[in-house]
Amino acid sequence: MTPTASDAPADFEVALVSLNQWQLAWRRFRRHKLAMFGAGLFLTFVAIAAFGPFILPYEATNVPYPLKFCPGTTISANLGCPPFNDGHILGTVGGTQEDLLTLVVNGARLSLTIGIGAAAFASVLGAIVGGISGYFGGWVDTILMRIVDVLLSMPLLFVIIVFAKVFGYGDWRVILLVFALLGWPGIARLVRSLFLTLRTEVFVDAARAVGVSDLRIIFRHILPNAMSPIIVVTTLSVAAFIVTEAFVSYIGYGVNAAYNPTWGNILSNAQNDILVGNWWWPLFPGLAIVLTVLGINFMGDGLRDALDPRSRE
Amino acid sequence: MIKYVVRRMIQAIPVLFLITVFTFLLMHVQGNPAQRFAQNARVTQAQIAAFEHRWGLDDPLPLQYCKWLGVCGDKPIVVNVLPPALGGGDNGILHGDFGYSVFDGRLVTDVIAQRMLPTLILTVTAYLIWVTIAILAGVYAAVKRYSLFDSGLTIFNYVGYSLPTFWLGLMLITFLSVPPLRWFPASGMNDPYTTPAFGTDSYWVFFGQNPFFAIFDLGRHLVLPVLTLVTVSIAGDSRFVRSSMLDSLNQDYVKTARAKGVPERRVVLRHALRNALLPVITNVGLEIPFLFSGAIVTETIFAWPGMGRQFIESVGHTDYPVLMGILLIAAVSIVFANLLADVLYAVVDPRVKYD
Repeated sequence: MTPTASDAPADFEVALVSLNQWQLAWRRFRRHKLAMFGAGLFLTFVAIAAFGPFILPYEATNVPYPLKFCPGTTISANLGCPPFNDGHILGTVGGTQEDLLTLVVNGARLSLTIGIGAAAFASVLGAIVGGISGYFGGWVDTILMRIVDVLLSMPLLFVIIVFAKVFGYGDWRVILLVFALLGWPGIARLVRSLFLTLRTEVFVDAARAVGVSDLRIIFRHILPNAMSPIIVVTTLSVAAFIVTEAFVSYIGYGVNAAYNPTWGNILSNAQNDILVGNWWWPLFPGLAIVLTVLGINFMGDGLRDALDPRSRE
Repeated sequence: MIKYVVRRMIQAIPVLFLITVFTFLLMHVQGNPAQRFAQNARVTQAQIAAFEHRWGLDDPLPLQYCKWLGVCGDKPIVVNVLPPALGGGDNGILHGDFGYSVFDGRLVTDVIAQRMLPTLILTVTAYLIWVTIAILAGVYAAVKRYSLFDSGLTIFNYVGYSLPTFWLGLMLITFLSVPPLRWFPASGMNDPYTTPAFGTDSYWVFFGQNPFFAIFDLGRHLVLPVLTLVTVSIAGDSRFVRSSMLDSLNQDYVKTARAKGVPERRVVLRHALRNALLPVITNVGLEIPFLFSGAIVTETIFAWPGMGRQFIESVGHTDYPVLMGILLIAAVSIVFANLLADVLYAVVDPRVKYD
């Protein structure tokens, strides 16, 4: 915002800066050190996912030169070689002998895409269902909320695994859809509770009085006022979906490792070799998950404080 | 009060009904089991039709569901938990019968019963440890706010909350159960070289002969899975206890107690803690379903023969009856835990209105 000074010349100028709600929130967020650190961490991984594969010398599914032994040792290279080894900063993996750094960097792409995509999609679905349910009330509300109750009563991970196995076939787009289609009820319940209070506000009556349609009231008048909690929950669910993807791929019903590396399926392949002591293989993909999730959680907490200052302890 | 409990139970009935519908549909999206024979050239269409008729797969879907419930069958609707020889076995879930596993032909109730004890050993041990530690740590951190311990706990909570359970388990195995350390075994419930498999008859004979060794062996195998569960679960719970205790310490009655000259120890333990634990009870109560449905992630990593691992195995075998049984038990226990938590909260907190 540019300062608005009066036209009349004066000895001093008063700079009046008017900030809207989002600018105020951004100012609070910027001052939240932990949140800025978390956002930095998360954006770093996004940048790695976006540009990393172009910078690294190896292709994701290309074996540069299969070795018999790890350089300078008599350890069989078939089990993978430890870090800092002949240009492989994080070492190589067993079997295919791929460069672990390349795998982790390429894995970031799908892990983050699935996490962010599923969270965004689930939030949109949740906002639509919750908004309609909370705004209209009555039997619409009863039916939709019973469905939400049922889905929230099912152990989510169990159901996700069944769906991922039946429909997934290792296709990451299907996995993303499954996560979104099963992950919306929590957000729907939240949005509904927000709508229950917001729909009694005067501006809603005013909109209705001038003949605004119901759907427009829901999505253009009420929803913007409910955005803050939705943004926080969506951010935090990105972390949850990244971890879920990793586990589902780890047990073999997620994304197929042969075509698309993700942090989860790299760990899945690592599992067979941990008993021979190849600690680097499971360590680094997991660290990537932990740092990303930590960054998102810091960011989510910061967003909560920034968007809703009253919620601060 | 009783009216409130009864009304909550009546409200749970449609949800329970919809859960059975959802579970049934969930298993039927997987397709017709008879189709697995369609690829086999030596199986005729007539045989497939006979198979479908034998198992009622040619019925319309609503009738199949009704039979699965045990309402449309030819037997009266009374709870029947008798063994198959006496008329039990596959009368439908309302009779307590979940049918037979399509993988090994055993009764689903037997399969689940066999997996229940290992799950309870693991989850109850972990639950008792993490709830105790979370309450102690959360209360101490709240009382000594901004101390080194408080900051340490906050950092631990952030990290613990961000650790994927399965990766923590993998790391514990990678660093604690393979050379050079080899402190704890990586998988199973007992040492296969010295002990019979857990749960078998010979195991209990062995247990009777060498109780101390058997318990020691079981304990050794429990360390890593319990450590995994406790680490990730303390994070959320201790944070909850801490903020609840902080709320409680800021209340007027605590200030009044201090002003009256009540010793600080008594203020914390009698005045603040008792009220701080109210929301904690609800929170901890909502974690109870986990005890039965099992720690699917931890059991998978440590090859612990519990319900969660059975579920993953049954997914691999496309074993619908077992999957449906486990899903139903898990979902029903979640519904009842919600109910229990609400009722318990209404009992311990007189301010809650029953409407």
